Amino acid sequence: MQELLQYLFSGMTNGAVYAVIALGFSMLYSSTDLINFAHGEFVMLGALCMVSLTAGAGLALVPAFFVTVAAVAAAGMLFERLAIRPVRHPQPIVLIIITVGASIFLRGTGMLIWGKDAHSMPPFLDIAPIDIAGARLLAQSVWILVIVTALAAGLHLFYKKTLTGKAMTACAVNKKGAWIVGIPFKWMVLLAFGLSTGLGAVAGASIAPITMSSYDMGTILGLKGFCGAMLGGLGSLWGAILGGFLLGILEAMGVGFVSSGFKDATAFLLLLLVLYIRPQGILGTAEVKRF
Amino acid sequence: MNGTAKPMTGSDPILEIRDVDKAFGGVQALDRIGFALEKASITGLIGPNGAGKTTLFNVITGIFAPDAGDIRFAGQSIENLEVHQRVSLGIARTFQNVELFESMTAMENILVGLYTRTRAGMIQSMLRLPRTRQEEARARDQAMELLNFVGLRDYASRKSGDLPFGWQRMLEVARAMAAQPHLLLLDEPAAGLNISETGHLGELIKEIRKQGITILLVEHDMSLTMSISDQIVVLDQGRKIAEGTPRAVQENKAVMAAYLGKKANPTNN
Amino acid sequence: MDDKYLPAIYTGFALGIAFLGWRIDNAYYLQLLIFIGLNTLLALSLNMLMGYAGQISLGHAAFYGIGAYVTAILSTTYQVPPLLALPAAVGAAMVIAWIVGIPTLRLSGYYLGMGTLGFGMIVHIVLREWGSVTGGASGFVGIPPLEIGPVSFASSKSYFFLVWAVVLAVIILCRRIIDSRVGRALCAIHDGEKAAAAVGVNTRRLKLQVFVLSAGIAALAGFLYAHLVFFISPGSFGFMASIKIVTMVVIGGMASIWGALFGASLLTLLPEWLHAFSEFEMVVYGLILMVVMIFMPRGLTRGLMDIYERYRKTHDRQ
Repeated sequence: MQELLQYLFSGMTNGAVYAVIALGFSMLYSSTDLINFAHGEFVMLGALCMVSLTAGAGLALVPAFFVTVAAVAAAGMLFERLAIRPVRHPQPIVLIIITVGASIFLRGTGMLIWGKDAHSMPPFLDIAPIDIAGARLLAQSVWILVIVTALAAGLHLFYKKTLTGKAMTACAVNKKGAWIVGIPFKWMVLLAFGLSTGLGAVAGASIAPITMSSYDMGTILGLKGFCGAMLGGLGSLWGAILGGFLLGILEAMGVGFVSSGFKDATAFLLLLLVLYIRPQGILGTAEVKRF
Repeated sequence: MNGTAKPMTGSDPILEIRDVDKAFGGVQALDRIGFALEKASITGLIGPNGAGKTTLFNVITGIFAPDAGDIRFAGQSIENLEVHQRVSLGIARTFQNVELFESMTAMENILVGLYTRTRAGMIQSMLRLPRTRQEEARARDQAMELLNFVGLRDYASRKSGDLPFGWQRMLEVARAMAAQPHLLLLDEPAAGLNISETGHLGELIKEIRKQGITILLVEHDMSLTMSISDQIVVLDQGRKIAEGTPRAVQENKAVMAAYLGKKANPTNN
Repeated sequence: MDDKYLPAIYTGFALGIAFLGWRIDNAYYLQLLIFIGLNTLLALSLNMLMGYAGQISLGHAAFYGIGAYVTAILSTTYQVPPLLALPAAVGAAMVIAWIVGIPTLRLSGYYLGMGTLGFGMIVHIVLREWGSVTGGASGFVGIPPLEIGPVSFASSKSYFFLVWAVVLAVIILCRRIIDSRVGRALCAIHDGEKAAAAVGVNTRRLKLQVFVLSAGIAALAGFLYAHLVFFISPGSFGFMASIKIVTMVVIGGMASIWGALFGASLLTLLPEWLHAFSEFEMVVYGLILMVVMIFMPRGLTRGLMDIYERYRKTHDRQ
């Protein structure tokens, strides 16, 4: 029982991170129909920026967090402007290769800046782990859960209450229609990229204290986030959160009861299963193109 | 009244559409559509935009499965056949927005059209035995004949995407003919053609019918449709509102109402 | 198309190989040329799938790895003669491709990309974690040199001839497929899957066939790699390896057989020319992929050819 609870806690912590990454995939997809294979690399940038700003530059946590998110979001927008917008034939295969190229490029850049070693930083608040029925819950985990909840609520409000959020939804539903009613489509795509990569940075910055961050952490995290997004239903806000948590918990159970070496395989097997059996995910209603 | 195909007299129909339903979300795109095509006839399928003509094409060719109803080709149900299997059986089509293989030459487009009429698989292609070579040579001759048939003989090695639009339409017809179909579905073949090209197309369609091929034609060019069709079927908002000879249909009140936007009770003929 | 000249081109190619093999004695250069040959096989293999049929694979190194590991395990652990291990290695990859391909190739676009990426990751993890069989993360040692009957391919020079003979054979076979009914249908799927089905192409089966063929060629390269270096580790068959293959195809040009040769040569030689390259390897690959795809979505060599053609056309008109 205690063991199960312990796995559940660690699964929830990882799951919350996957959920934030999944949110980034999902919201970009829902407003641009695009899947950014470099998304995980923005998570890596978020984590390493956070480490450098706090442990390196000695900045306080809160400003460091916001500077990180803003910087990574800016990088994401730059990426859209330089590498996505100029594409003349935006077919999936071209965009896949471009974003995969961006992912390798960012990974290489990360290695040049931060080297091949892994970096760590102290937790946000130095509080002893909370003891619940003999299972330990890290304070940082609580932080991460708080952040996820706040993000979900914020995004929900953004889409439902603000004009920009509604305009973005409109672009997703019907590009031409949105253009006709005067929604600046290009600006919406740019904004979607900024928001999506910003979410990636939030995920990265949040896990920096509980994991070792290195230049090559992004690919796997990105894939897991994508898996979470697919699991819940690509394009759905709550689906991304549900899928992320589900993946985290399943993975933790897998590690606990099967083997830790195959931990990463859980996510990919799950991803393949979802793709094959239910590509619209648990909550998704959007029709997935399977021809 | 707009239900099952009425009993045909004379020869058996090549295609029978029986009470076909198809809905997308809440929109009933096809509502109990039924009619039949006689062998070697030309049928014009007309109706305002959104009437369900292209949807019906997609159901006949197998891109969409109907929600209800049955499609019978040469007396047998083709419900469970996939798109490519229906082509092998003898149903070929063209598309409303020409869908050629743009990076390939005119000749290669026709050769792909001959896919169902040739056999060589991957291993035979690697071995290139005499039989495969012969088949390839024969296919090229047939392709050349077809290019000649639509008047594109001299453009065989041109990239299809570089051809003028009217020629692309002709090439697409030739590509469909390469499958040696019994039934040819033409989706707005005259759209974007000028008057002389349209005239040429009309002659071509009659020529194809002479070879014993049945034609189902969706076309907005009324003078073309009315002049070459033996039978006209009129759809409006997913329902069949009229069926008959071009003359009968032109005098039909429901048809006039559908086109002019007046309310009227749909009646047959 | 240029069918008339093909025999001459092949003969020239074979003579070129013979000449290089005759002239070059330097072990380092021979090794480099062998690697170019292996990479050419990989690029050809992915090109059949991605360049011609338009189906992306971001996990192609998995088949390369399967080929290498199957022969390593059979010929080392079980002492099977390499000649018998070869069909097993290629066959295993093809069977796996067939099983994985049935559900995966139903996907298209981004989902196909993610699906193949996930598949590649799983194979990589299995190679790394299944220590008792694969030797785990530290790799598999002691693979015997290749001997086919009385002929030994232990020397660099003999291996050079072997690899390039295989490359030439694979080029000829690929070229034959491309210029056939099946090859045209593959290109048709690339141009428009809907239209290809509408003219009677069984798109699903054909995509599966080319995926299996492609996996087989990659496994063949893996087999040759294992018996060349005698030591293999999962790191050579991971995500970066898959991306490297994609990059070779992108440089060489989609749907271009000779381009595959060019892409493979460039990406093999680049790290050798630039000594500091290993540091910048990823940055350079990433930039190549992005820049080429933004400006020449059909690949570098194809893109340059297109530009030349456009120039000639406007020139002719004047």
